[in-house]
Amino acid sequence: MPSVSTRDLTRRFGSVVAVNSLTLDIPDSGVVGLLGPNGSGKSTLIRILLGLIRPTEGAAHVLGQPISHPAAYVHDVGALIEGPAFVAGLSARRNLLSLARLRGLPATRVDEVLEIVGLTGRDREPVSQFSLGMKQRLGIGAALLSDPRLLILDEPTNGLDPAGIVEVRALLRTLAEAGSTVLVSSHLLSEIEAACDHLVVLRFGRLIFDGPMRDLLTQASAHIDIAAEHPDQTAPLAEVVAAAGWTVTTLDGAVRVAADGADAANINRTAHAAGIALRQLVVVQDSFEDIFLSMTGRTDGELAAARAAGDAEAGEVGGTQ
Amino acid sequence: MMNTLRSEVVRLWRPRLMIGWLGLTAAAAVLINMVMFQLVGEGGSTPPAGPGVAFPDAATLASNEGLIVGLSAAASMFGVITLAFWATATASDTSSGLIRLLVAAQPHRWRLIAGKTLALTLLTALVTTVATAVNIAAANALAPLADLSTDAWGTDLAQVAGEAWLNTFATLVVWRVIGLALAVLTRSAAAAVSIGVGYVLVVESVITAAASDLAEWLPGSTLSALAAGGNAVIDYGTAAALALGYVVVGLGLASVVLTRRDITD
Repeated sequence: MPSVSTRDLTRRFGSVVAVNSLTLDIPDSGVVGLLGPNGSGKSTLIRILLGLIRPTEGAAHVLGQPISHPAAYVHDVGALIEGPAFVAGLSARRNLLSLARLRGLPATRVDEVLEIVGLTGRDREPVSQFSLGMKQRLGIGAALLSDPRLLILDEPTNGLDPAGIVEVRALLRTLAEAGSTVLVSSHLLSEIEAACDHLVVLRFGRLIFDGPMRDLLTQASAHIDIAAEHPDQTAPLAEVVAAAGWTVTTLDGAVRVAADGADAANINRTAHAAGIALRQLVVVQDSFEDIFLSMTGRTDGELAAARAAGDAEAGEVGGTQ
Repeated sequence: MMNTLRSEVVRLWRPRLMIGWLGLTAAAAVLINMVMFQLVGEGGSTPPAGPGVAFPDAATLASNEGLIVGLSAAASMFGVITLAFWATATASDTSSGLIRLLVAAQPHRWRLIAGKTLALTLLTALVTTVATAVNIAAANALAPLADLSTDAWGTDLAQVAGEAWLNTFATLVVWRVIGLALAVLTRSAAAAVSIGVGYVLVVESVITAAASDLAEWLPGSTLSALAAGGNAVIDYGTAAALALGYVVVGLGLASVVLTRRDITD
């Protein structure tokens, strides 16, 4: 049974469709990355799953329970939503104690969580004196209070130093290995790549990828950048390689060949046979960032959405004239 | 519901917050007694009631109610302080984003309102007790300076003080509910306090001046009458019934709005 499943889930805010006919299944264990540009619907989806907002259409289940009855599953769900939120004048301990009381948990659980997130010893200080990283740790602690089967973390490493990031990554892995599902929403692609087993990618509220991380990485393509020993041989080099059947693009002083590493030796031989010595031959594999940007576009999501809306409006105006 | 109550008490029990609320209430009790006894001591005529206060005459101060009459005289002042405190405590849940965690942990949102209401009721009882104690101490200290006879003050003291405490408590509970409802509706402490205080000090006075027939239905007049155990305009039973109506409407409105609203903050 998936930990989260949605069917044609849609949420509109006026004319804006934040989540658009979303159908997905999130596995019941492991670390799952939720990715998408700004305005792609990640936060709206998380809020729907937590019962903070209601969908306009469609259905969803969390831990097998319908989202129309969040009381049936919230005791098994922990969340850090859009940054930590606490009473600034209260200590870390009392903030957690307040949330523990709300969930009917014993005070001893607060001690356990403070230990897990490394705030033991600082727990009696007011949250107002905490750095962003410490608040983030406290936010993760609040999400862990109920020892959840499903942990939803929005930008969990925000504000953490490199050591803290590694620590949180290890914590997420430990939780996943213990059988929990950890759903991580983040803009840090390197974090998602390092931590996640499964990936969900949204764009304009629509699902554009849902599957294991390795499936996405196999979509990565490669190319080979070559450069002739003498710059005036760049054009002839492009011609002979193209004549041999490869697709080429001429760059500034180099040639990009659409080929993977297996063709490197043949490309070198082709150039050599034409009397051109290569001073550079580099096999370049697409990065996770390249794959992500090719899927979602290279423009800020909200700006792209605004431009699209503007274009549509202009089109409508034009059509009526 | 007990979980939400216990959670609220942990969050509300902050030294600065409580000292501020109790301190302001105590200061208001001292202030009203100073003004009341000074006016009587100077022998001038009693000034007319203004927004938030109604000054008793010398005969009332010398009666067995004189010891605690400051509570009802400044009922609206205590009420505004209570409204501001509760509006701030409620709206800060939204402005800080804490409401996301609360609703995610307790999806029965009406229980959050109920727990907060119970917690506020407990703390309002504490504040009423402090106001009563400070008022009694201030009256005892200031009466000799006004050369006022206090021979009648001991008569039925427990009953008089008990009734004053109960009426003040009931009044503050209604003000508290109004503050909570305004905060839920506006999601802003500043807006809720501004609306509440502005209403008490300005709007109700204007409405009363323009349409005096309406005065007995308005919150300020109703709650002043409730605090005083009834007055010439509104009898005690009517004031209590109207106050109950304000509580039901206020809590009902807050519950419906919080239950139906998307938590996007």
